Amino acid sequence: MNRLARILGNRLFALSTLIGIGIWLLVVPALTGGLGANPVEKLLHLTGEIAIWMLGAVLALSPLRALFPKSRIVAALNRHRRAIGVSACIYALLHLAAHVVYEGGLDGLLRSFSKPFIWYGAAGLSILIILAVTSNQFSIRSLGGRNWKLLHRLAYIAAALLVYHQAIAGKGHWHTGRWLFFPLASLQLARITKQLFMRPARKHRATAILTTVANAR
Amino acid sequence: MSDHCIRDRDLAAVAAATPEPYYLRRREFLRLFGLGVAASAFLPLTSQAASTGFPDALNAGYKLDGVKITPEDLVTSYNNFNEWGQAKDQPKELANRGWKTRPWSIEIGGLCANPRKMDVDELIQLLGPIERRNYRHRCVEAWSMVIPWDGFPLAKLVDLAQPKGEAKYVRFASFFDSANCRAQRSNDFPWPYTEGLTIEESRHELAFLAVGLYGKPLPNQNGAPIRLVVPWKYGFKSAKSLAKIEFVAEQPKTLWNQLAPNEYGFYANVNPNVDHPRWSQKSERVIGAGFFSGKQATLMFNGYEKQVGHLYAGMDLRKNF
Repeated sequence: MNRLARILGNRLFALSTLIGIGIWLLVVPALTGGLGANPVEKLLHLTGEIAIWMLGAVLALSPLRALFPKSRIVAALNRHRRAIGVSACIYALLHLAAHVVYEGGLDGLLRSFSKPFIWYGAAGLSILIILAVTSNQFSIRSLGGRNWKLLHRLAYIAAALLVYHQAIAGKGHWHTGRWLFFPLASLQLARITKQLFMRPARKHRATAILTTVANAR
Repeated sequence: MSDHCIRDRDLAAVAAATPEPYYLRRREFLRLFGLGVAASAFLPLTSQAASTGFPDALNAGYKLDGVKITPEDLVTSYNNFNEWGQAKDQPKELANRGWKTRPWSIEIGGLCANPRKMDVDELIQLLGPIERRNYRHRCVEAWSMVIPWDGFPLAKLVDLAQPKGEAKYVRFASFFDSANCRAQRSNDFPWPYTEGLTIEESRHELAFLAVGLYGKPLPNQNGAPIRLVVPWKYGFKSAKSLAKIEFVAEQPKTLWNQLAPNEYGFYANVNPNVDHPRWSQKSERVIGAGFFSGKQATLMFNGYEKQVGHLYAGMDLRKNF
């Protein structure tokens, strides 16, 4: 267990996994003709899926830490939240690039902006970019820990926007969104529940809930 | 090629499992015998198979000049067939894991003078000869292909059934086989897949029942053994792997229309001027055109306006989308 935790906590391991996912799912199929009949669409979908699952992974890590404070594995994975978050942003940018190629010209690109799902995607991506740009020590210091934390809670808004973006982007795509949405929502709910029950009962219950909700991040 | 091997094996299995008196029924015998003669006359020995009515000839009226026919491997590896996966590259894989599309029973019923239930090959024999037509195919998801289908006009089947005067619509139902089709065990979709046409649409010369593509029996993933092809409507109207065709008085409920009535109308005619609520229908991505090909303009009624426009004369296509 300790050894697994050490491997999982290794920075190089994390980076090669995050880049490896892209090489394995995007680059190798692209070079070997494995993208199928509609390669641009495949890249479009894959980059989007990778981005949203990485965002989901980051958002799962902090409640997992609250739920399993003693787990070394969860602690090890939590070291990589920044790297995973920035990767999510990079894959989302690749997703945008694939969209530009898919539309094939300015006309199509502009026309795509007549549809709401593009706006949800663009809003989510904008948040990811802001969060990625401010994901360094310098930003934390200059914003102040509290403000920085508040700013980075936008990740939840981004996730909601992007799950919705995915759900309404295609014909039956809402079937995939739920696999992301319900687990994440359950984790958050479990964390809030746990914090409620762990809290000493001296405070009024309503205040306790409010504080817990406010503390949840 | 593997397609044929499977069919040969299936045929042998049917022969082995069927008591001899039944197996050697006259019609069956004639069919097999006739096919054998026809096949040995026209086909090289290796490709002889129990594929009713092949080879067929191109109907010169449906050559579709000036467009590039989509390569066969793309036609058979990219489509929506939700019974066999949500992704478009899944049906090729999932529909070929032991799903049997022969023998296949098909039922014609409802408000008609000549209802019947029979084996699909018997039906093909009745309605043949089969012919080839190159049709544009436009998916509601804004991609398109050009596909050489083999089959016969739906009108032939309608004539065979002799619908009664009160029959105003035709309802098409795909197979329901939750024992062998995992997706049908979930309630995500109101299975079986159902679609519908007005009786006038079903009698239109363009409405087609396909039993093959590229001169071979339909691969499972493309809707074997028999499917609807309505080239002026979005692809989802062309129901696959038909089990029942019914003549009805009321507009039938259809699968996508039930799931999202504001997005998938009963008519679902290809129309670049009426967007899907969530995406544009002005243009389409042509499958096989290349990575940087962009999109091409979508044509009214998918390019069949001259042939079908009169069916919808005076109709508000924005309302009846």
